Amino acid sequence: MTTRLSGALCRAFSIAALLAGAATVAQASDNKIALIPGGPHPYFAPWEQAAADAQKDFGIAAVDFKVPSEWKLNLQTELVESLVTQGYTAFGIFPGDAVGINSTVEELEGAGIPAAALAGCAQDPTKMQFCLGTDVYNSAYLGTKALIEAMGGKGKIVHLAGLLVDPNTKLRMDAVEKAVGETNGAVSIVQHITDTDAQEAADQKINALLGAQKDQIDGLISTAYIPSVVAAKSLRNLGDKRIKLVGIDDDPIVLDAIKDGFAAGTMAQNPYGQGYVGAYVLDLLAGGGCTVKADAPWIQTPQTAHFIDSGTLLISAANIASYKDDLKKITSDIQSSFKDKYLDCK
Amino acid sequence: MTATETLNPDPVMTVADANEAPARRGAFLAESGNLIGLAAIVLIFWVVLTSLRPGFISNFNLFTLSRSLAIDIVIGFSTMVVLATGGMNLAIGSIGVCAVMAAGFLMQGLGLPPLVAFAAALALGAALGWLNGFAIVRSGVNSFIITLASASLYLGAMLILSKAVTFNELPAAVADFGKLRFGGFVSPLLIIALAIGAALIVLFRFTALGREILAAGANPRAAELSGVPVGRVVIIAHTLSGALAGAAGLMLVARLGAAMPSIGQDWLLPSFLAPVLGGTLLSGGAVSVIGTMLGALLVTTIRSGLLVMQVGNFWLQLFLGVILLAAVMLDRYRGKVAERRSLGRR
Amino acid sequence: MTLGQRLIANEWSAIAVAIVIGVVGLAATSPAFLTEFNLYVMMRSFCVVLVVAFAQMLTLAVGQLNLSIGALGGLVAIAIGGMMEVLGFPIAVALPIGLAIGALGGLINGLLTVRTGINGFIITLATASAFTGINLGITESIPFYNLPSAFVAFGTARLSAFPMLLIPPVIVALLLALFLARTVPGRQLLAVGGNPHAAQLSGVHMNGIVVLAHTLSGLLAAVGAILAVAQLGSAQPTIGQDWLIMSFAAPIIGGAALTGGHVSVAATALAVVLIVLIQNGMVLAQVDPYWVQFLLGALILAAVGLNRLRAVRAGEA
Repeated sequence: MTTRLSGALCRAFSIAALLAGAATVAQASDNKIALIPGGPHPYFAPWEQAAADAQKDFGIAAVDFKVPSEWKLNLQTELVESLVTQGYTAFGIFPGDAVGINSTVEELEGAGIPAAALAGCAQDPTKMQFCLGTDVYNSAYLGTKALIEAMGGKGKIVHLAGLLVDPNTKLRMDAVEKAVGETNGAVSIVQHITDTDAQEAADQKINALLGAQKDQIDGLISTAYIPSVVAAKSLRNLGDKRIKLVGIDDDPIVLDAIKDGFAAGTMAQNPYGQGYVGAYVLDLLAGGGCTVKADAPWIQTPQTAHFIDSGTLLISAANIASYKDDLKKITSDIQSSFKDKYLDCK
Repeated sequence: MTATETLNPDPVMTVADANEAPARRGAFLAESGNLIGLAAIVLIFWVVLTSLRPGFISNFNLFTLSRSLAIDIVIGFSTMVVLATGGMNLAIGSIGVCAVMAAGFLMQGLGLPPLVAFAAALALGAALGWLNGFAIVRSGVNSFIITLASASLYLGAMLILSKAVTFNELPAAVADFGKLRFGGFVSPLLIIALAIGAALIVLFRFTALGREILAAGANPRAAELSGVPVGRVVIIAHTLSGALAGAAGLMLVARLGAAMPSIGQDWLLPSFLAPVLGGTLLSGGAVSVIGTMLGALLVTTIRSGLLVMQVGNFWLQLFLGVILLAAVMLDRYRGKVAERRSLGRR
Repeated sequence: MTLGQRLIANEWSAIAVAIVIGVVGLAATSPAFLTEFNLYVMMRSFCVVLVVAFAQMLTLAVGQLNLSIGALGGLVAIAIGGMMEVLGFPIAVALPIGLAIGALGGLINGLLTVRTGINGFIITLATASAFTGINLGITESIPFYNLPSAFVAFGTARLSAFPMLLIPPVIVALLLALFLARTVPGRQLLAVGGNPHAAQLSGVHMNGIVVLAHTLSGLLAAVGAILAVAQLGSAQPTIGQDWLIMSFAAPIIGGAALTGGHVSVAATALAVVLIVLIQNGMVLAQVDPYWVQFLLGALILAAVGLNRLRAVRAGEA
């Protein structure tokens, strides 16, 4: 019985090996790559598929989606450290904290393990190879511009932001103020409401805001996932289409609000593309065959000098049906040109 | 007033204790029994994990373990010294981050050398702790409420002063210290934690002050009658707690190479877990310094072990909870068996 | 006793004074405060916090802590969401099962605490992690969105300023007050917390009461979770994450002692009103974000200070 079973297993393995051999492209690699978000969050759900696709399409030994059990920096760094022990050779990381992650990345670099910031950047100076993600400053700026346009170029707006202690929040506040400043006083900011990143806090604060000043404000710009959802829902409850809302990310509640006219738009990000392209590039880097070019056409952001935009676009009623295809196209464009543009390969 | 702050220990335990009225020597034996039990459980975990995943005792994993352990231990101490008086300190995270940001400002803003900045930050931590103690004793209000409010006050003051901007251009010596390794796998941070532990053992075992703290926690009225200045003692315990919280924060600064406003926000539960697992009573009057260290070691081991065992991403928390339960129940069961035996002998 | 003396001896009078000062102050400075919609908003955010505070109050009453309230609430929230969206259960089936899960979670907490003799603090800390783990394992942190429209509509329905969502918490509060004041187990519950030794001597089955308190606490956490799901319109895995501190703050500001035995439904409810008022006032007054935390602490301290002053005046000190 045992011999028969093991025989069968052997055959199964050899067939699998043959298949794998046939399926892989020229560069079947034995790298193990981990994609690590900051914690459990619906934004990162597409990474799981992206990891599986990248593993298949590029013939990488393993691309795994590994989630820290809670949204805490120390749990993320402990996870990274443990994965190093388990033989992972490259890391795509959403920094749980843009500054706090750097010491861990530096240690990875010291051990010859490349890491890239995906979805959000680490703050320079950093040993991250590059940052493929959403430029939080630009996204907030463009979102505010879109909001101002939807409001007809004048009025009062309120900014709903995430955790105040997150360095990105300050950047977003600055970006919103910059866009508002460019209107020469036609648009003014009533206030920034922060720490709306938890469901219940957001519900409480946003409804309190609407309760107090729904007749005074003309627009809401949200630069975090949860307040976007809550604001969309609250405006629907109020039945208010006068107050314009521009949110962030494509949660179903926000998309429905756009369809029904309760939100002017939302800033899409490209999580699938970040995971997919990130895994592809990390595989090239981890093999030692390629290095990152110093003089590539990097974008300079307030956070880092090695930024690549993974695609920021405004979803509005006009493109709500097609934006997923647009993002896919952006993804394949970035992937196909990445090697020539940003890497030196032997 | 500290009488109202003591938590009612579990009724079952109260009755059992009342029946036995353990003598001093008995209590000491019981404590060392507890410690041996805890150590045995930790040992079992290490043997099992090492045999299943040899990578668990690789130099790199041991180093990262020792570093997280060191910080968890000091956080645990910070709560432990206040638990000794039968009080609580919910503000340790806020005090920690105040010390961190002060140190960051002194080094990056004023260019002071790290040692001076760290000393000043520790003093600030102690001062904020003293303020807690002073408010508790003077107002007679429960320490839970005072520190709940002061946690918000301190964090708020830090945010107002720092505008939540991270200090990430600290002298290189700070981050270099965090990366030092002794003997291949021991972080200097762990040595600091052990040194603090040794000092606390001396304090509680061999000094009048330590005994006074315990007496004030066990029964404040009796302590007062026998000449212990309960108010002063409570203030000293809170001051010490503040200094230790500052120390834990500064250790994180060395670990991360940056002073960030998000440090300390997730300290609350771990700070209680280590001392209470280690046998420190929530009702005050009894502490176990070594137990706190072993408690922190147990939690760090379980957390790291689950990562090394590659327990499913999102289910990790469930296993953490269940294993923790199993571990404390095992310890309890062992304690009961030992108790029965010693009773039989008597 | 004059009316004034009686008032000052009442433990919730100071909180009531603080509330009156707050209301008058806000009404005078911000015209939006007393609008119908703002009143609705405040009453609506009152609901979940109140029930959660009661959940903690019951364990405090027997001198225990329940750190798993939020985790259990999150689990119940996604359980009812999953039952309604994925399994297609009707509301009338899903909600009772959700309540049963909450009560079961509380029962497990209680039994483990009593049977093992381990401090409830450790037990509930561990079960909290377990409950969160089940929650994340099931959802992979993705919320359930497609809930029955009748259920979601209930969360936003209102009669002028009065939210329908407020009905369940009010019923819970009345039942709880009745239970603690008029029933045998309710009185035993307070007796156990007040003086376990005396309670035992007078024949109270202590372990049973501790288990009862934990079970009811779990049940109330489930009620809070259901209200939160209705309020938010989707079953979010993150529900309950920030309940913990709040759940302690309200009963304790309301005068509950951590030692147990001394809890008050009315004072806890008033403390929740005060907390909601403070939070609403922060947004209303357009407080600079960097000052929010600081003022929150200062206001809690002021409320506590006021209560302390009252206690001293009343000669309780």
